[in-house]
Amino acid sequence: MSDETVAVESETIWPADSDDVEEAIVSNWFVREGTTVTEGDPIAEIQIEKVSLDVPAPATGEICELLVDEQGEFERGDTLARISTDQ
Amino acid sequence: MISDTELQEMYGWMVTARYYEERLQEEYLEGKQPAFDISAGPIPGELHLAAGQEAAAAGVCSHLRDADTVTAPHRPHHVAIAKGVDLKRMTAEIFGRRTGLCKGKGGHMHLFDSTVNFAGSGIIAEGCPPAVGAALAAEKRGEDNVAVAYLGEGAISQGGFLESLNLASVQNLPVLFVIEDNDWAISMPKERVTDVGNGSQRADGFDMPGKRVDYDDACAVYEAAGEAIGRARDGNGPTLLEVQVHRRMGHFMGDAEGYRPEADSERAKQRDSIERMESTLQKAGIDDDTIDDIRDRSHQRVEDAIEWAKDQPEPDPDEAYNDVFTNPPAGWTPNTKPGQTESAGGDD
Amino acid sequence: MAEADESETTGERETTMSRAMVSAIASEMRDSDDVFVMGEDVADYGGIFDSTDGLLEEFGREKIMDVPISETGFIGAAVGAAQAGMRPIAELMFADFFGVGMDQIYNQMAKNTYMSGSTVNVPMVLMTAVGGTYNDAAQHSQTLYGTFAHLPGMKVVVPSTAADAKGLMHTAIRDDDPVVYMFHKRLMGIGWMPAPDGPKTSVPEDDYTIDFGEADVKREGDDVTVVTLGLHVHRALEAADALAEEVDVEVIDLRTLVPLDTETVLESVRKTGRLVVVDEDYHSFGLSGEIVARATEGALANLSAVRRVTMPDAPIPYARPLEQEVNPGREDIIEAVQSTTE
Repeated sequence: MSDETVAVESETIWPADSDDVEEAIVSNWFVREGTTVTEGDPIAEIQIEKVSLDVPAPATGEICELLVDEQGEFERGDTLARISTDQ
Repeated sequence: MISDTELQEMYGWMVTARYYEERLQEEYLEGKQPAFDISAGPIPGELHLAAGQEAAAAGVCSHLRDADTVTAPHRPHHVAIAKGVDLKRMTAEIFGRRTGLCKGKGGHMHLFDSTVNFAGSGIIAEGCPPAVGAALAAEKRGEDNVAVAYLGEGAISQGGFLESLNLASVQNLPVLFVIEDNDWAISMPKERVTDVGNGSQRADGFDMPGKRVDYDDACAVYEAAGEAIGRARDGNGPTLLEVQVHRRMGHFMGDAEGYRPEADSERAKQRDSIERMESTLQKAGIDDDTIDDIRDRSHQRVEDAIEWAKDQPEPDPDEAYNDVFTNPPAGWTPNTKPGQTESAGGDD
Repeated sequence: MAEADESETTGERETTMSRAMVSAIASEMRDSDDVFVMGEDVADYGGIFDSTDGLLEEFGREKIMDVPISETGFIGAAVGAAQAGMRPIAELMFADFFGVGMDQIYNQMAKNTYMSGSTVNVPMVLMTAVGGTYNDAAQHSQTLYGTFAHLPGMKVVVPSTAADAKGLMHTAIRDDDPVVYMFHKRLMGIGWMPAPDGPKTSVPEDDYTIDFGEADVKREGDDVTVVTLGLHVHRALEAADALAEEVDVEVIDLRTLVPLDTETVLESVRKTGRLVVVDEDYHSFGLSGEIVARATEGALANLSAVRRVTMPDAPIPYARPLEQEVNPGREDIIEAVQSTTE
């Protein structure tokens, strides 16, 4: 039994053409705490200025923590959620 | 020949309109960043800004008087400014205030100023038939007033436009149809909307003069519109005029324009009708101080209008139920709340 | 039921109404070459309200067709293509624009089956965005539910959740008759028009249909029946929750107007004896009057109170305080429900 979690990092999904922007919002969460996800599943939609993009799950597991509210703002570099990869 | 006074007036309208859109953009985005929520901030709802289209407004409206009618589509501010719509009350309307042109009921797509015969409609091409009607009224009354209908190039396949061309032509009415070709119908480039490269060719099928001004030069528009409006006032019927303009701020605020090539946006910004107009003024011998003064006064006028508008009261909620009719029938109610209507519950 | 739904969904990913619609359209297009989409800004833009977002990438311009602004032309073309055996989906960008192409909608699409004695049929979907709450004024904010439901020959559906949006879209595309699919902008889950809690739900991956004519009892209650649809399903559920201590409210989501599930409404009002109809359409000569009429025809003896909470008989104003006044809110629903028990 391990106690592994994987962070959903905003930095890794930040698009190159939004390099001049530092904040965004979570427009939709597609998961709640407790939802099981497979790596690559879209788990959220974020909006950087007028551009929307999906956030894929970086790992397979269970969402253990959502760190930004829906419609909530976050800064580039913030962690959006954590996925527990316990088997 | 355009007089210096007319040149300065047109330039004044153009810089007013450009600065107005820039300032409205700022005001609109207040409360909408970083989360772009269309219903948030001091100006909610859709906002379609006309930066890059000023030449089409100035060159035409320079020939108009207050008694002439103008109908404008969903992107109306530049035309309203050139037609002489009260800028303060128009701005108050856009901010949804009680003292706005339409008491806060119309909003930016539906501006009405009857003192200068200006009317808006948010439905594509649907301002054309009422313009024909205004011309019909002028003709029936024996007045030499004209009507001008503005539309975008995306509207030229719409029945309301084509039927209006025919009606105006067959009745020989004093109408000028002005197509503002900004190359884009929201996300649709012109070449996918019509196989006719030149929208004014639509006139051919209606036996009506058609002309296109290929670049957004207010003076070239002035010349073409002057000829058309003169013909209309003299009882010689309608004209179709297309003017190449540019869309600098997206279809509406919030449009990410993901469909639009970067180079096209850049080109639109480089072809600046205002800079072109400034050099025209300079060539006409108007000195830089005068030009600076016009620009400064125009900007100040915009600031004053915005400041005034933001200071105006919001409408009282109950005012929503007024103005449905000019002459409300006896006993009529707008059925505002449960219980106001004839109650089916029977216990009122 | 709302609570039960919630516990069921824990553990599954959820999706927005727009994505659910798109997934149903995509699935039907993969299964049949007869299905295609026509509309203004449906291709590169993906629909102004995301109703076709992503379809161009998978299906290309032959199947996801941007058309010139000419509603009479392209809606009529959809009618003709449907009569020729295709299954077009035509998008009318805003329901408010119906006037521009109305003849093709109500004189051709809706009537050709009947006028031809069923020798032709029109298996098309006319999907369209409805509703206000974002200050877009009189020409871009109407629902017009009653207008479309009034004219014979069209089936009319109004989803209020992602799960319903998907099932109803599958049914609509497979239906052999014209279906008007009216989606509320505020429910789509668009970043720039935040949705209330409720429309985003878990949605089964596999295809499924929802039969037309089956209302959904979203919340069971014994005291007052609230019949509603679209955005106001969620406002009614909020009102019901707020009233939970004093009144036990049943909330019925009609989901389809043609056909209308009269039986579910009657069953409910026979139990509660009190009916509140909440409708974002105009007050007179429309949906709310129809529901009240059916309730009185079918359960007159059971009824002790009837209320309608609707838009007034006035065009929709622009300014925020004016639109908030006219569009029925949670408090208006609470007040109406309370007034039935006084």
